[in-house]
Amino acid sequence: MVCCASTFWLSKAGNAPEEYEDAFQSVPLLECFAIADGATESSFAGEWARILVRAFATDSSLTIASGLEGLVKWLEPFQREWFQTINWEGLPWFAEEKARAGAFSTLLGLNFEKRDCKKDLPTSGSWHALAIGDSCLFQVRDDTLLRAFPLARSEQFSNCPPLLSSKQGSNHGVLDQACLAEGSYQPGDLFLLATDALAHWFLGQFERGAKPWVELSAIPEQADFEMFVTQLRQEHLIRNDDTTLILITFPSITSGSDERTSEEKGS
Amino acid sequence: MAYTAEISRLNPSCFLFLIDQSTSMDGPFGESAGKRKADGVADAINRLLQNLVVKCTKAEGVRNYYDVGVIGYSQPNEHDTNVGPAFAGALAGKEFVPVSEVANNPARIEERTRKVEDGAGGLVDQTFKFPVWFDPITNGGTPMCEALRFACRVLEGWVNAHPSSYPPMVINITDGESTDEGDPLQEGERVKTLATNDGNVLLFNCHISSHVGSPIVFPDTKAGLPDKFAELLFEMSSVLPQGLLAAAQSEGYVAGAEARGFAFNADLVDLIRFLDIGTRASNLR
Repeated sequence: MVCCASTFWLSKAGNAPEEYEDAFQSVPLLECFAIADGATESSFAGEWARILVRAFATDSSLTIASGLEGLVKWLEPFQREWFQTINWEGLPWFAEEKARAGAFSTLLGLNFEKRDCKKDLPTSGSWHALAIGDSCLFQVRDDTLLRAFPLARSEQFSNCPPLLSSKQGSNHGVLDQACLAEGSYQPGDLFLLATDALAHWFLGQFERGAKPWVELSAIPEQADFEMFVTQLRQEHLIRNDDTTLILITFPSITSGSDERTSEEKGS
Repeated sequence: MAYTAEISRLNPSCFLFLIDQSTSMDGPFGESAGKRKADGVADAINRLLQNLVVKCTKAEGVRNYYDVGVIGYSQPNEHDTNVGPAFAGALAGKEFVPVSEVANNPARIEERTRKVEDGAGGLVDQTFKFPVWFDPITNGGTPMCEALRFACRVLEGWVNAHPSSYPPMVINITDGESTDEGDPLQEGERVKTLATNDGNVLLFNCHISSHVGSPIVFPDTKAGLPDKFAELLFEMSSVLPQGLLAAAQSEGYVAGAEARGFAFNADLVDLIRFLDIGTRASNLR
């Protein structure tokens, strides 16, 4: 049985929905997920963020386990794709100057590798994640936060994180700050991928002793997410920024099936 | 907490540049052979405007995060002062314009060249576009007090119309030798008394001097400044708000807690970079 995933997003208050510059890609069948946050202070950043998440989630030529060396090579065709999306001839001087500096974005990618198991049964296995910047992954098990990656404390956020550039040759220092992580998952686990405003709120709540995943995992629809984030913004509990969330759940044994995997039966 | 208002199109902030156009600006600029202070000022203001425009540029155009005014000041004779809007070209005569109008209306765009690394250990010439909104003009004395009074008048209207905005920033670019009646320190204090709900107007000074010496940016003491004009401009300058100070420190400036928005023979372009209008890349310079 594959995982279940829900995606939610909301653009910055005061901006039009088409000005949303986060991006997300969710491919439950491939158990591959990515979010990205295009930097406000660069142009064509939404385009770059969308190229990155689509590339991560659908291009199997990048395997996280192979490390960072392959990332530079892997990025090149997508950097060319970004460059080709721009109508350079039609740009006024200021737009050309801005675009020539490149677009910038975070990238958080997560994929799962399940252990051999019978079809349609709850699964367990391993996960691998790659992060550049401050979009965050949270893993929750048995109502406890098991992992926060790449940032683990709310004080670690700033307004100038390392970001992936669409410009070739501009990523050397940034790739040194790319983070890799891996872990295991089991039936009942919850994973949350969030861009910085929501991730910052999440960690702040957790530091105060709350369990923010309870509220987030109970959000049924996009409209409910919009109401939830709008309320946080009105109460100044969250930064006004594009906000994105992917929720991934693995059916638990009790809720999904009363059978267990062959591995669990043997244990 | 002051100086934390979001800068957005719904809640824009404001830049007002005051430009010294006195004859003393004909003097040489620091160590730059053949360059006059007036040329240094024109380059500084044009670079500031260019950086402001590019900062606000997105794929669809320029977002109006700021209103922008440029005020020139000179004194052709003992009895007359010229203090007023100083944009050249289509914006001539306008007191404040949104930054998108600045972007779309330079007086001209020059092609200039700069040296860049060629990737093989050498340097090559690279041409780049240099928009010009302001030309070097020199004409008589330096009515800095009158210029500060003018700033006070126009900013009073702006802060009343934008009570929730990040406070206006005034950048005065001068060689510091005020010649009209009054005390520039006192007039500067009046400007800084104006406020939005988010804090007082910020007054920064950019001192363009004939003195030869290393540029100084964001000092926290007047010790080491080369003359009384630099000391006066330092004293007039606002202490950097916490957000700007933290950004300056994180990007390598040695700036103490009381660092002021003051530059000697340098520009204040980095100040514009430090203003927070959203996420920016640590690798974007």
